[in-house]
Amino acid sequence: MAGASMNDIKSRIKSVTGTMQITKAMELVATSKLRRARENVDKSRPFHEIISAALNGIMSSDSFGEVVWTEQSECKKPLYIVIAGDRGLAGGFNTNIFRLTTSHSAGREAKYLPIGKKSLEHYRRRDADIVCDRHGYVSELSVGACLDIADEVCHGFAEGRFDSVFVVYTKFVSMISQVPVCEQLLPLKKTETVSGSGVEPIYVGGSAEDIVSKIMPEYIGGVLNCAICESLAAESAARRTAMNAANKNASEIIDTLVLKYNRARQAVITQEITEIVSGSEAL
Amino acid sequence: MKKFHIEIVTPDGLCYDDDVESLLIRTDDGDVEILAGHTDLLASIDTGRARILKDGKSVFASVSGGFLSVTGGKVRVCSITFEFADEIDVNRAKRAKERAEIALKAAKDERDERIAKAKIARATSRIHVGNMK
Repeated sequence: MAGASMNDIKSRIKSVTGTMQITKAMELVATSKLRRARENVDKSRPFHEIISAALNGIMSSDSFGEVVWTEQSECKKPLYIVIAGDRGLAGGFNTNIFRLTTSHSAGREAKYLPIGKKSLEHYRRRDADIVCDRHGYVSELSVGACLDIADEVCHGFAEGRFDSVFVVYTKFVSMISQVPVCEQLLPLKKTETVSGSGVEPIYVGGSAEDIVSKIMPEYIGGVLNCAICESLAAESAARRTAMNAANKNASEIIDTLVLKYNRARQAVITQEITEIVSGSEAL
Repeated sequence: MKKFHIEIVTPDGLCYDDDVESLLIRTDDGDVEILAGHTDLLASIDTGRARILKDGKSVFASVSGGFLSVTGGKVRVCSITFEFADEIDVNRAKRAKERAEIALKAAKDERDERIAKAKIARATSRIHVGNMK
C-alpha cells in the first residue's frame, strides 16, 4: 500500500517538474520578447507625441472652425478598438481588458473592432457587433495594417456609423505594472488654448481644417501603432510575471511532494524493520 | 549658410535629428523649401521626393503622407514613411509597383482604387529617389 502511494507521489513530482520546465521556457521566451517589444514602444512614442502636439496646436487656434472630427456627441454609439493578446497564460492580461471595456460600454449600443486572437474570440463568443474581424493576430500587425484600420475607422466615423471611438489597451508602465486604459480617439477633445506666438501659421495644401482631415487617418494609425506596441510589451511583461509565479508555485509543490515521498519511504523502511524485529522475537 | 534643427519622425521611430541648411519637401501644393528663420507653417505632405541639404551636400529621401510643421523655429516632419536613397531597394519598389498596377485593374470599389493608386505613387517615388543615389 505504501509502495503504491510512493509511486503516485513519484509520478506527480515528474508531472510537476515537466510543467515547471514549460513555464520556465515560457518565462525566458517572454523575457526576450519583452526586450524587443520595449524597444518598439520607445520607437513608436515620438510619432504619437509629435502628431498629437501638432493637432492640438492647430485646433487651439481661435480661428479653427468645427470639423466632423471635433463635433461632440453623447457617445451613444461608440466603437471600441479592443487590443488584447494572441495567447493566454499571461495572468489577468486579457480579462482585465475585457472587464474594462464591458464596464465602459455598459448601457451603450457599442460596436467592436477586436485586435488580437483572444479579443476576436471573446467578442465572437458573445455575438457582439463586430465591425471588422480581419485583425486576428496582433503580433503580426504592421504600421501599414494600423493605417488600414485607421482609414476604415475614419470612414465609418465620417459616415456616422459610430459617434465616438475608443481604444482599449494595456499600457506598459513598468516591468511589474501594466494598466488597462481606455482612451478616447474621436471626437477630438479640444484642449485648452496654448498661448503660442499669436501669429497664425501659413497653411500649405488647404485650410487648417483640411489639413486636420487629411492627417486624421495618420494620427489614428499612429496612436493605434503606439497602443499595439504598448500592449505587446505589456503582454510579455504580464506573461513573464505570471510564469515567474507559476515557477515558484511549482517548485513549492515539488518541495512538499519530495518531503511527502521521503516520509512515505521512511515509513516503509520503519514498517519493514518492525516486521523483521517482531518476527525474530516470535521465534 | 545658417543652419537650423529638424526632426523627422515616422511610426517606426525618430529617423532624422540634426542641424541642416535646407529642407525641401513635396506638399499637396507643390514643393516647399524651408531655410533657417522660416515663419510658422503647416503643410500636408504629398508622396514624393525630399531633399536635405547639410554641409553643402544633398541627401534625397522618399516621403509619403503626414505633415510638415514649423513652429517658432522648430521644424518637424511627421510622415508615414521617410526613406533615404541608400536605404531603398529599387528592385523591390519595381515589383511593388507592378503588383499595385495589377491591383488597380482588379479594384472593385473606390477604396481599393485609392489604396492601389497610393501604392503606385509610393513605389514610383521610391524608384525615382532610389535611382538618385
